[in-house]
Amino acid sequence: MKTIFFRLITLGVVGCSCISAQTYTNYIRQTQMPAGVTWDASDTVAASGTQLSALIINPGGARFDLWTLKSEPLTEYLLASSYVGTYIPISQIVIDTEDTYGKDLTASGSLPVNIPAKLRRTRADRPFTVYVTVGGMLSGATDPEASKSVKFLRHVQSYGTGVGVGLDRTQATLKSQSSITVNGLKTLTYSVTSIPGSNLSKLRGEERFSVYSLADYQAPESQLASEFIQVWPVADATISGITQNQEIRYAMPTLTLYYNDVYPDSRTYAQVYQGEQVLGTVGTVVTGSSLIWDAAEPKNDVLTLSDWDRFFTRDGRWTMEVVTETPFGSTRLAWVTFSLNRSIEVNGTSLTTIE
Amino acid sequence: MKPYSFSNGLGVSFFLILTSNVLAAPVAMQDVVTHEQLVLVRSKSDNLDPMKLLAETQGADPSVVNRPKSLLDQSDIICFGNFATLVPKRAILQIPKNLAGRIQIKPGVTIQSWSDFFAANRGWITTVEVSRTQAEGNAPIAEETATRISKSSNLIVATYLGGPISVLPIKVAVDKNSKISKP
Repeated sequence: MKTIFFRLITLGVVGCSCISAQTYTNYIRQTQMPAGVTWDASDTVAASGTQLSALIINPGGARFDLWTLKSEPLTEYLLASSYVGTYIPISQIVIDTEDTYGKDLTASGSLPVNIPAKLRRTRADRPFTVYVTVGGMLSGATDPEASKSVKFLRHVQSYGTGVGVGLDRTQATLKSQSSITVNGLKTLTYSVTSIPGSNLSKLRGEERFSVYSLADYQAPESQLASEFIQVWPVADATISGITQNQEIRYAMPTLTLYYNDVYPDSRTYAQVYQGEQVLGTVGTVVTGSSLIWDAAEPKNDVLTLSDWDRFFTRDGRWTMEVVTETPFGSTRLAWVTFSLNRSIEVNGTSLTTIE
Repeated sequence: MKPYSFSNGLGVSFFLILTSNVLAAPVAMQDVVTHEQLVLVRSKSDNLDPMKLLAETQGADPSVVNRPKSLLDQSDIICFGNFATLVPKRAILQIPKNLAGRIQIKPGVTIQSWSDFFAANRGWITTVEVSRTQAEGNAPIAEETATRISKSSNLIVATYLGGPISVLPIKVAVDKNSKISKP
């Protein structure tokens, strides 16, 4: 029997953004194929790191499952699963987006490197790229079929109106499945997500890409690698309390700004400038209108502006815009142009007084 | 273009040629995109789906049909005081009657790793190191060890290098020459 030691990578203990080190206990289980012997392959599983498996893998291979358990209420999360075998190809998947959150910016090399304990993410209108590497594939006429080909799967799944906590991933939609029969790297670029939904700018969910081995007498089709990204909706905003081309004669009205689905790493604000609206104009940011949001999921907020006449230095046409700055650039979410006429004209004859 | 290499851990390296990062840089300020605009983008994207360049396969979704069983379903829970831990099913070799109530979860307990839980409960838990072949049921547990287990009043957990391991029933060698007698 051949002794095989391989490097086991703890793929991170963050299957969802709610997991913290204090309340979760991690387990790595090694299941020998096809016998079914199961071993706790870990002593204490840190949030990230590597370790060697000391249990010899049989010719049938072994599956490694990384779990985390929440104590109260008792809930389990399967964070990662990977099958290895003597003749089974190996695979690596890396997903890259324009948002560098979760990306190891210190890593060198041509392929991006993601930080295991963080989820990569993008927005519903932005592209992303999937790098799939397969190695160790055989091509001999007598080699087992499972050594000569792997399955490549793409799943999409909507979060509905939620943020994905407690998501049942067995309910994901299998968008497509293909076969990879040659070693090497494949680069797949997608213009936008394919998560289902009635409003494509408001999609929230995840895209998952996986590589599976072929079934043979040793083991069923088993996961070799799998990664997913979260997709968050495009923000929108409403300026309430003023209408297009309204003429304002006295004090500026109290405005309500509705910010919806602002991106997890964003700064959203209202700005004003004199003149008709021109996309890309840099105006004066209105105090009290800014929302800086740095979190794991989008946010809605409502802000009120009052006593803000000081931002208008002269009468005339003015434009107010709501702008959001994200890793994807600046986006104008809403605008309104109005006329300001605060001059008071006094009509009538001059009056004098005689003492 | 730069060469990239990675190792499969078995001493074999693969050298690949990569193209540069294909993601476009963020653009200057834009108006917010609409659903109608994205319908057009998605339509083009679906037509250019890069997975269409690969051979399509059929079959049931392996991520559903071959999903690993629940960790809780494939484990026994050992619980004492305010703490509990999980071990693979068949790892517990003996449960004395007076300790049977500790093989179940209780509300409000904190889950610990095996090593932390065992360190605090050595008084009533004893481990027995088994070999891989013993765990597979290909070799019996030594008679001396089996006797010690049967005489122990502790909970007995099989371990391999300190980690709990399931022990399959001993496989009975089939004698091909034996004849099945008819009743």
